[in-house]
Amino acid sequence: MIQVKYFGMIAEATSKEEEKIDVGEKPFSEILSEISSKYQLGDLSYQVAVNKKLVSDFSKLQLEEGDEVAFLPPFSGG
Amino acid sequence: MKKIFLEGAIPSEFIADSIAKHQSKHSIGAHNIFLGQVRADEVDGKKVSAIEFTAYEEMALEKAHEIREAAFEKFDLTCLHIYHSLGNVAVGGVCIFVFVSAPRRKQVYEATEWLVNQVKTEVPIFGKEIFENEESQWKVNS
Repeated sequence: MIQVKYFGMIAEATSKEEEKIDVGEKPFSEILSEISSKYQLGDLSYQVAVNKKLVSDFSKLQLEEGDEVAFLPPFSGG
Repeated sequence: MKKIFLEGAIPSEFIADSIAKHQSKHSIGAHNIFLGQVRADEVDGKKVSAIEFTAYEEMALEKAHEIREAAFEKFDLTCLHIYHSLGNVAVGGVCIFVFVSAPRRKQVYEATEWLVNQVKTEVPIFGKEIFENEESQWKVNS
């Protein structure tokens, strides 16, 4: 299981702030596209962080049990 | 990890106290302060009445820590503080407070601007503009 967190307009689209997902051996890119199509995030702009670090290259990443994945819309602090 | 978040607007008293606390640090010769205030923007005839801030707090604290470390590397500073609001801040309220202190003045100007830019672009904070008619839209940093 991994922990998935949603923020800002992404949390509005998913109607939840977090959930646990059983990902098995699936590649990270597949997990991301499943989440994106489940909540229709296709038109929204977001970055993904794994364990609080932004990820740019999804192909090399294999998630491990207990990892935390966050969907982050554009930052707008200040 | 230093705390950066305060619930609601950052009170003037908090800012004044922060200044006072530095008067015992006698190597400091210059302070610079940036305060960001919630503006009553108008969009399609609707006026912003407040901004509601949320954040990925754990990552934001890590990011703020990295930014602090980088600022001390980059500039000759004695100390620096970053505070940002969470939750609702009505127009006129201060939502970001960046406070930079150094022996001399040139460094504090440069460091303050750099820090504010870093907070806006690198720290996962999300602002939602609430209009007077209770509609809302997600804030976009320009």
